[in-house]
Amino acid sequence: MFHWLEKHPFFFAVGVFVVIAFAGLIEILPNFAQASRPVIGTTPYSTLELAGRHVYIKNSCNACHSQLIRPFKSETDRYGHYSLSGEYAYDRPFLWGSKRTGPDLMRVGNYRTTDWHENHMKNPSAVVPGSIMPGYPWLFTNKADVDTAYAEQLTVAQFFSVPYNKPVPMKDGSTKTVKMGNSVAEANALALAEAKVIAADMKDQDVKDAVARGEIPEIVALIAYMNSLK
Amino acid sequence: MNKLYLWGIIITALMLLFTYMSVAGSEGGLNGDIVNMLAVAGAVALVIITVFVVIKYVRQMQTDTADGKLADEQWDGIGEYLNEVPKGWAIMFLLTIVWGMWYFTVGYPVNAYSQIGEYNEDVAAHDEKFEAEYASITGDRLIEMGESVFLAECKVCHGINADGIDGKSANLNQRLEAKVVKYVVENGSNNQLLGTEMPMPDRNGLFNSNTGALITDAEIDAVAAYVANGMSGAGADVFAGTCAACHGADGKGMDFVAPNLVNFTPELVTNVLNHGKKGVMGQMPSFDRLNAKQKEAVGAYIADLSK
Repeated sequence: MFHWLEKHPFFFAVGVFVVIAFAGLIEILPNFAQASRPVIGTTPYSTLELAGRHVYIKNSCNACHSQLIRPFKSETDRYGHYSLSGEYAYDRPFLWGSKRTGPDLMRVGNYRTTDWHENHMKNPSAVVPGSIMPGYPWLFTNKADVDTAYAEQLTVAQFFSVPYNKPVPMKDGSTKTVKMGNSVAEANALALAEAKVIAADMKDQDVKDAVARGEIPEIVALIAYMNSLK
Repeated sequence: MNKLYLWGIIITALMLLFTYMSVAGSEGGLNGDIVNMLAVAGAVALVIITVFVVIKYVRQMQTDTADGKLADEQWDGIGEYLNEVPKGWAIMFLLTIVWGMWYFTVGYPVNAYSQIGEYNEDVAAHDEKFEAEYASITGDRLIEMGESVFLAECKVCHGINADGIDGKSANLNQRLEAKVVKYVVENGSNNQLLGTEMPMPDRNGLFNSNTGALITDAEIDAVAAYVANGMSGAGADVFAGTCAACHGADGKGMDFVAPNLVNFTPELVTNVLNHGKKGVMGQMPSFDRLNAKQKEAVGAYIADLSK
């Protein structure tokens, strides 16, 4: 057979390709298929959270803050469990970041709360002395773009089968359903209902008034997103 | 003498000369330390071996003739002998196959590097060290540990001096502020502060036994000032009539019923760390990821702050 292969270089090349491709398939694919599944307990982003994610990207938070906890004791002590690839299943794009000027935010929802974010976004050095992070006062007046968030939800639900309006398994064995509106109006209503819960925990009267009027300042969406990072 | 050998001798001599010059010219020269001598010895060995090997193969190319039976086919005029594989080579080949099988089935699976594995070993080693060094500390060392945990985890909200940064969070240098007492009396509390589910009722469930009526706004302000003031001043009668039934006449709480309102206790702090807290100041997340000893240490530190 080897003699024959030596005389037929084309089929030799095909054979080499098949052998190497087979090794690649059995080594890489099974692990890849398993690791790229969403981890149990990972849920899709709600409309408001997604709008907050857009605010996060728009203000380039990921330039200074990573969202990837490496498996080192020093990191897991500070930020929580190391990241698993399946936890990014609904991140489009993922926001791993490559440089930590500020701390990692992968699980910031576990150890910071709405009112802290409110204080911090207005004036970071008021709560963290010596912080070099600038304030983001315009988040309190700019309005979040819920329509775009809804458009993204529709797209990922259709093309990537992201399970909106479907039960998603949680760690404790229960299920959770993340709702997505059937129309723009419905999506806006859902986002506003979520915003009201956040605004109730905030102190800024202008923000509270805006939410009461039916508007959603960017800070509310951003905090919703921050709180969802767990 | 063969021309080839002549060239060999010339090249050897030249390379040795260069070696001598470069070493003699360097710092320390030939009288330097042993490293220089080792370098010279290595260089001399390399030069001689190289020249010897090159001469051997050049001679072989000049004199050797090929023999053996040619294979039938040719590739663009290039033929191939049907000679046996050299014995040494064949043995190495077989050994490589054996090694490959061992590596595939045992070598790699048993010895494979895993980042998570190294992380787990790290954590286990750290836990063991922690257990050995800190598991039984008490007193000042415990408070010291509490301070370091506080500075790592708590200061972003409570401030370096634990003063709550201008009301952004609880001032831990005093047990309770008046507005906190007022908020809890008005809204009730179910912070699971004692690890039990017993909630404190809101103002619609709080009777002042002195008057026999629900607690009033004025009484709430009075008792809030009284508690915030460290159980002194006006409002003592309201406290006695309304709060003392659960929190005790001295405000030091009762086990499994109500928390201490005079001092922070380690149990109270541990409970807040476990469950988080939500009140007039805002929301505090739970800090479950601290281990039991760290929680105890934070409790000791905070109890010490307001002593």
